[in-house]
Amino acid sequence: MSECKCSDKTEEKRKFSLNCIYFYLTEGCNLKCRHCWIQPKYQGEGKQYPSLNFETFKSIIQQAKPLGLSSVKFTGGEPLIHPNISEMLDYVKEQDLRLVVETNGVAATPELCKKIKTCKNPFVSVSIDGSEADSHEWVRGVPGCFDKAIQGIKNLVEAGFRPQVIMSIMRHNKSQMEAVVRLAESLGAGSVKFNLVQPTARGEKMHESGETLTIEELLETGQWVENELSKTSKIKLYYSHPMAFRPFGRMFGDNGVGCGVCGIFGIIGVLGNGKYALCGIGETVPEFIFGDATVDSLKDVWENTKMLNDIREGLPKRLEGVCAECLMKNRCLGSCIAQNYYSNRNLWAPYWLCAQAYKRGLFPASRLMPKTTTKTLEYAK
Amino acid sequence: MVETKNPVANSVMVLREEFDDWAVLFNPDTGQAFGMNPISVYIWKNLDGKHPVGEIVKDIRVNYNNVPGEVDEHVNKFIADLVERGFVGYKA
Repeated sequence: MSECKCSDKTEEKRKFSLNCIYFYLTEGCNLKCRHCWIQPKYQGEGKQYPSLNFETFKSIIQQAKPLGLSSVKFTGGEPLIHPNISEMLDYVKEQDLRLVVETNGVAATPELCKKIKTCKNPFVSVSIDGSEADSHEWVRGVPGCFDKAIQGIKNLVEAGFRPQVIMSIMRHNKSQMEAVVRLAESLGAGSVKFNLVQPTARGEKMHESGETLTIEELLETGQWVENELSKTSKIKLYYSHPMAFRPFGRMFGDNGVGCGVCGIFGIIGVLGNGKYALCGIGETVPEFIFGDATVDSLKDVWENTKMLNDIREGLPKRLEGVCAECLMKNRCLGSCIAQNYYSNRNLWAPYWLCAQAYKRGLFPASRLMPKTTTKTLEYAK
Repeated sequence: MVETKNPVANSVMVLREEFDDWAVLFNPDTGQAFGMNPISVYIWKNLDGKHPVGEIVKDIRVNYNNVPGEVDEHVNKFIADLVERGFVGYKA
């Protein structure tokens, strides 16, 4: 028997230590994914776009440790094509920081995989958007990248990892979800995470053109993953819909996969150009740029940026629309306020999926406060 | 000290049961929500002031499989936690 779980944090317990930095290491990427919410420039053969300066990287880490830094995430663009990636990995190891890497796998050489493995409690995820080359490369935009990504996963497994496979689901590849799970199992992956295409940057264009799934399809697919597909696999499956749609048993039961809360109160992003930002959203929303690591003190940015302090003060109590009425809001925190701001230019706007589900009568009634107001519909488009 | 009176759930609390027998327990005063597993839900429903804790434990042993030997300890701890949070009191 487990006791009550999923409790929220009370105001007085909140401490805003900087636990983790998301490093968006490169401005370019070796793939050109049609759903990317960062939309980096394509760095094909012979091209090189700016990336985070190694000395700046070290300076940021040194400034962050007194603020509470215990882990870093390398993402992109594509982190493994950074010209100093090997030295950066050495530095992360030397600083005894936990490492998470999000990669497309194409540049995951045996040498880099082994080096990542030497870092503290490392975790690696690799994006695979189809069970075969045609589908994956339709999403990823570069011929030949499927075989390279698969080889990258094999290199990670050879180095001792059980990497997570991340699949972004859309109309084009939805039928391959189960096949991707089987592929992941056969490769030695530890889990599969299904991401929803966010209506940001290139993903927004996909939503507009009808290439993404409808709200009904997203919710049905989520139920299928949570209640059926997950029972057929020995590896853990995650479906990235908000907590309101996730069965408690799948989050907190004996084989639960947790509730995947955004660590917004303890993270900051660093872009490839050295700018501090809320996260990668800073690439597309200038309001989320908080300073420049080459000139600004991280301590000052972390403690005195108005938007960060507004978020700390306002989440979750200032959330609006269906998020204000949701019983999960203390944990879910609006799912992704960067996305919510992108869509509405309002930090407190509700998450698009929840707002639209509520409008269609598909929001789980058991997760709503007893008296939901008509204002809840305000943001549903 | 073990409480000998019968526990009773605070009537303000809202229990929302879901399809898989889990439930969300919601405190409208604070906005806090808690995920409850099926046995927690069973216990909560019996916190009506009519059932002593010992009787609830006995019923769990009868109605559920693979009940651990220390279930009484778990149930008492769970109820004590609910009392601590103000979700449960004791019938006068």
